[in-house]
Amino acid sequence: MQSARHSTPMNPATTLPTILAIAWLLPLAAFALVWVGYSLPQMAGGRASYGAQRTAGWLATGAIGTSCVLAIVALIIWLTQTAPHEVATVHETAAAHQAASEHMASPPTSYSGIYYTLAQFGKLRISIGYYIDALTIAMFALVTLISTCVHIYSMGYMHEELEDMVDREIATPDGNYYHRPGRYHRFYQYLSLFSFSMLGLLLAGNLAMVFMFWELVGICSYFLIGFYFERPSASYAANKAFIVNRVGDFGMLIGLMALWSCLGTLDFGDSNTPGMFSQLRSEAHQYELDAAAMGSESADTNYLLLFVAGVGLFCGCVGKSAQFPLHTWLPDAMEGPTPVSALVHSATMVAAGVYLVGRCYPIFVPEALLVIAIVGAITLTLAATIAITAYDIKRVLAYSTISQLGYMMLALGLGGWAAGLFHLITHAFFKSLLFLCSGSVIHAVHTNDMRQMGGLRHKMPWTAYTMLIGCLAIIGAGIPALGIGLSGYFSKDAIIEQAWSFARVNESSGYQLLMWLPLGGAFITACYMFRLWFMTFTGMPANTERYDHAHESPRSMVGVLVLLAVFAVGVGWHVPGSKLSVTSLLERARPAGTLETTTGTWLPNLTVPDEHLSHEPQIAIPAGWSAFAMAMGGLLLAAIIYVWRWLRAEEIQQSFSPIHRLFVNAWWFDQLYDWMFVRPALWKSKFFAGIDRYVIDPFVNLLARGTAFLARALDLVVDRKAVDGSINGLARLTWDFGNSLHRLQTGNLRQYVVFIVVGLLGLFAAVSLCWKYALAG
Amino acid sequence: MNWSSLLFLLCSGFAGVFAIAVVLSNNIVRMAFYLVLSLAATAGLFFLAGADFVGAMQLMIYVGGTLVLLVFGVMLTAQSQFVSMRTSSGELLTALMLGGALLFVLVFTAMNVPMWQPTNQPSVSEDTPVLTATPIGMALEGYRVDQLEQPNPSLRRGMSGYLFPFVIVSVHLLVVLVGAAYLARARRHHTESA
Amino acid sequence: MPILASLLTEPIGVAHYMVVGAVLFVCGVVCMATKRNALGILMGIELVLNGANVNLVALGSPYLRGESATLMLDGQLMAMFVIVLAAAEAAVALAIALNFYNNFGSIDVDRANQLKG
Repeated sequence: MQSARHSTPMNPATTLPTILAIAWLLPLAAFALVWVGYSLPQMAGGRASYGAQRTAGWLATGAIGTSCVLAIVALIIWLTQTAPHEVATVHETAAAHQAASEHMASPPTSYSGIYYTLAQFGKLRISIGYYIDALTIAMFALVTLISTCVHIYSMGYMHEELEDMVDREIATPDGNYYHRPGRYHRFYQYLSLFSFSMLGLLLAGNLAMVFMFWELVGICSYFLIGFYFERPSASYAANKAFIVNRVGDFGMLIGLMALWSCLGTLDFGDSNTPGMFSQLRSEAHQYELDAAAMGSESADTNYLLLFVAGVGLFCGCVGKSAQFPLHTWLPDAMEGPTPVSALVHSATMVAAGVYLVGRCYPIFVPEALLVIAIVGAITLTLAATIAITAYDIKRVLAYSTISQLGYMMLALGLGGWAAGLFHLITHAFFKSLLFLCSGSVIHAVHTNDMRQMGGLRHKMPWTAYTMLIGCLAIIGAGIPALGIGLSGYFSKDAIIEQAWSFARVNESSGYQLLMWLPLGGAFITACYMFRLWFMTFTGMPANTERYDHAHESPRSMVGVLVLLAVFAVGVGWHVPGSKLSVTSLLERARPAGTLETTTGTWLPNLTVPDEHLSHEPQIAIPAGWSAFAMAMGGLLLAAIIYVWRWLRAEEIQQSFSPIHRLFVNAWWFDQLYDWMFVRPALWKSKFFAGIDRYVIDPFVNLLARGTAFLARALDLVVDRKAVDGSINGLARLTWDFGNSLHRLQTGNLRQYVVFIVVGLLGLFAAVSLCWKYALAG
Repeated sequence: MNWSSLLFLLCSGFAGVFAIAVVLSNNIVRMAFYLVLSLAATAGLFFLAGADFVGAMQLMIYVGGTLVLLVFGVMLTAQSQFVSMRTSSGELLTALMLGGALLFVLVFTAMNVPMWQPTNQPSVSEDTPVLTATPIGMALEGYRVDQLEQPNPSLRRGMSGYLFPFVIVSVHLLVVLVGAAYLARARRHHTESA
Repeated sequence: MPILASLLTEPIGVAHYMVVGAVLFVCGVVCMATKRNALGILMGIELVLNGANVNLVALGSPYLRGESATLMLDGQLMAMFVIVLAAAEAAVALAIALNFYNNFGSIDVDRANQLKG
């Protein structure tokens, strides 16, 4: 929809698609050049020299750097050339919100069109198209910027790959380590391909194209996780990531089919024919979601189809964004090189699921949103609990990523469209910063195990303090009274506010959990992030040999860390002297009709509140303060255990050993899937192999034995089992019951006090769950 | 912000901080000292709430009597190995988490009952001193001099105050003192060095 | 929670006293649950009783509540009984603790687990 018409010579409707297309295709060109120039010769037996490999790196970095510049140019054109919506910010009055809501009831400015039509079957058209709105522009700038940073960082991090590489993780049978030629150029080749795919995913004008690039980023992720494919763990992790993602994509295909067969198009915007959004939320319906557009006779079927489409799309996002129950692949994906973890597995690709939910927001019915919120809430808690027990520095960050993605999904599901996407953007900066810092640490001490670190801040101050900034950003540190803080403070507050607002309009106690879980999650987040920082950088060095060899990373790496740290601090701020900020930019892309309080059709008491209501002071102030208190509490607990050492971590592990085992084993999800899906396949094959022996033979034997058994049974059953057994059973029951209770009687006075408190709290919880007036407030 | 609010903040701050100090301190002697301060600050709170007699009793019986008893106990048993005993971190963490949850529940309830919210119409203005020693004494004797104009007939008819509970508590105290003396009497022949 | 935001400006109410009472109470409970010294547990009990007393006095205070709602002297009388019974309880508990000390040569309650089932 080309709704903005300007008389200025530079018409954004034509310039923006061109600029972004160039920015999109440059990494592809770099990929092709590196492939033809370096990888093909190497496959043919040739060998790239040191200098040639470096050139490959520069080529890829140059391409993505240029893309980054172009993306920023596009951002500037967007800001200057398109009419800004005056959107309400946090501190404005209710009246202004009202005015803003009225104003926002028109569709956002967007440009859509087609670069190239692949095929046309009657009404159905498959094309390479574009859909450009403020969200696209913002994500474009974000992805190219972080990608450029990671490219530069990798020049230092991957320098070992320039020459023949000795892989210390693999021992050959003769007792040496594994030698292989370096793969520097191949690394950059994959990174370029990934950048291209990710940008294509952002630029895509229809869901078919999204799906195509969705799979492409999946493949790049597979290549990059398996970069050290000689290591069995790496190739296993790559396979796992790929296969688990297919499970989610299956659901996504169902969603796509539902949309395509009902709406006849997968286009986001209107070009010649009306797109999905304008069909589902037409102007004639005041942009409200209109299930009748699905085109079947009964209203229930229409709603069901819309629900299926929404949940189906979300299934794909569950796989890609590593949400419960498909989250198991992401921690294993840390087998890839650390820059890849920073770019692909925290900042951009895994956030694509969140992006897609945000992009397709107009098609979700409230019930589908509830599914998203519940999955998000489960994910964020589950992953946070696992993160507190992990010792591998990258795994802590991986679980933290899953948990933060859960936050974003939760926000989107509760109606906080801008909150979720804002957190996506801030998270991309501070999480890539954290990963690159961890990479710097790993580069220095050559281990992932935090128990081997300690005291490193003296050796690598730049890494330590940039990482401290990242940690403060992720826990949402800020001063609520003054309204200043790091970027995470604004975005996490927005999410908690939306959850608070949701819990206010939905009285039932199940919905209250959707507020308490993110609040509790904030506590655990602060706890595990600072556990990581304290264990790595403070205290005494745990391993003096590694400590002595540690050194600050080269300047190219540190420079990137500082740049990202600046963004992690300031990306949530307003541009001084104007109302411009990331939030206001996102608000310009808010889909029409989504800024309204809506209620479910199947669940009439489910209300998804208008997002601007969450900025009202009576919600924002208590929500902000509780989030602040939770984060500070978590930080304090981490400090008590790891800095002041008033409590000893080992003792806590011992006294909570069942819970600790649960967390260390990641809630036994891998084992569960092994038991549910892998074993049954094995059992089935055994079953068919042994069907002869175990079915036909026993059948004959059974007939013979059955007769003898019948005779004995009468004696046994009536006399011994029925008469004796009932009396003995009663006795045993009493005995067992008494026995099971005696464990409770520990004789320990202090434990009895604890029991009393637990009982009191349990009573209170039970009363407030069943009786409305106590906790519901 | 007037003087009574300021004094309230001061007294409640002392009471809370020293109570927390009792929990966090590991040394039994220091704990006893912090407890004295916390209870004395609580007596201040009682004065501020207009309960002068109870406040005085708090100082005399509690701080002056009960705690001195406790300090005697501390001194009698204060061998070096019992002065500070460490609790395991797991138990400490459990207790802190449960305590936090309990505190949350209590504060949440206290904040959310409308009847307990601050009111601008107290029964008496802050300038009027209410002396409670005589009415309390009369109430213990059985006469409620403060309830003479009680509009509720069921309360007025009784008016018998707290004579019966007073007698029960007196007898109880006597029994307890005898019992305590019996329990604590020295039985040297049973003492073994463990 | 409007009271949190305006803690300093509002006149002091029963809720403020209740919060102080809650802090004392919870400190007492945590004390009871974590101290291994029998006398430490006694101190925890004293704190718990004091938390209760603060609530009783606050509910009976004429300065904090309106005429119809206040307990007046009843609250204070209850507090008196609590103080006196606490004294009695302290005497007996101390006697038990001393007896325990004489018999076991220790004041660590973790060693007093004869009630173990």
